[in-house]
Amino acid sequence: MNTLQLEIVTPSGAIFKGNVTEVTLPGEEGEFGVLPEHASLTTLLQAGVIDFVKEDKVTESVVINWGHVKVDENKVIVLADGAVAIRGDSESDIAKAIASAKELVASASDNAAAIATVSAKIESAAHQLI
Amino acid sequence: MANLKEIQRQIKSVSNTQKTTRAMKLVSTAKLKRAKELAERSSVFASKLNEVISDISTRIQCQKIGGVENRACVEIDNPQMVDLIFVTADKGLCGGFNFQTLKAVKTLMAEYKDKKVKVRLRGVGKKGIEFFIYNEVEMLDTVKDLSSMPDMDRAAEFIQSSMKDYMEGKIDGVTIVYNGFKNALVQELHVKQILPIAVSCNDEVAASSMLEIEAEDSEKMLNSLIAKYVEYNMYYSLIDSLAAEHSARMQAMDAATNNAKEIVKTLNVQFNKARQGAITTELIEIISGVESMK
Repeated sequence: MNTLQLEIVTPSGAIFKGNVTEVTLPGEEGEFGVLPEHASLTTLLQAGVIDFVKEDKVTESVVINWGHVKVDENKVIVLADGAVAIRGDSESDIAKAIASAKELVASASDNAAAIATVSAKIESAAHQLI
Repeated sequence: MANLKEIQRQIKSVSNTQKTTRAMKLVSTAKLKRAKELAERSSVFASKLNEVISDISTRIQCQKIGGVENRACVEIDNPQMVDLIFVTADKGLCGGFNFQTLKAVKTLMAEYKDKKVKVRLRGVGKKGIEFFIYNEVEMLDTVKDLSSMPDMDRAAEFIQSSMKDYMEGKIDGVTIVYNGFKNALVQELHVKQILPIAVSCNDEVAASSMLEIEAEDSEKMLNSLIAKYVEYNMYYSLIDSLAAEHSARMQAMDAATNNAKEIVKTLNVQFNKARQGAITTELIEIISGVESMK
């Protein structure tokens, strides 16, 4: 199966690096999905959730507060200001990740509706994990 | 006997200094580890950001596709005034670390002067600021306590005014000078021109896959990306400089500890000699006393 390489980096380190089969990004003008062999583009991202399906068909989510993405045919590079991965081994780990993700989004945006939308997405992403 | 006391006093004082320098070395070693980790984690972001930026600006400069009107991406032929930002440590006792940076700044300033370009000096770090105040060189503004505690927000705030002036056309270039970390033994001086963004016209890069920027927000995106690039470069030079500072201090303190050890050694030899001398004199006095009684 075709895969594309996804890299999510922040000033404090790389959050994710690996091959994925698809990725959904919170673009400035709306959400968009990227599959392998996508045309190249460069655009801004807003506070939101990046969903991606890894090679083993597991979906993971990363919350970002601001970002910029560069898409090539087989490579996606996300430069984010702050990012929190929603993952963890135990429920308490996940709960901790959710809390810090919400905090991140709340600090990035003052639009209550936007925060609520993202929070709901975070919850649903976490729900899948548990 | 007075001589003996004197030497003993010296030995004590030197070994006390040795204790201090050793402690300082250990502190720096620990801090270096943390600073290095931070810099290493950050360098991933730096390399990706630079990759994206240089990709875009290469396209703009070499192929003249859009964005040519953006000041940040075009080389300015005849600069009138530039901002020179230097980053030094807040503390001394780190060998030639600060001075190396300052020397580079002075050379650069002389070069600009030859070219009749005005320089606005902006400083980070107490040591560099003190140096230029002492030498009566005018600085536009200065920040203390930033280089010992790098902070993204404060770094961004500091660089913002240069960025704004650049975009408004008040200045024609921004350069950062700092001493960066190479490895635990070597520091590397960086003179980095951050605005206008320096690119090398490389045909190979330009020939890579097409890059499409959504036309409507291209201006906005380019601006925010450039702002991020500038802020981030400022921040990165701070953390790189911090790591280098600790490595320089570690080295300097190591050398100081070794020197102290040497001095204690020679003083000990001196002390022993003086003690022997004193005993000999005493013996001679007693013997000659006995001899004269006969």
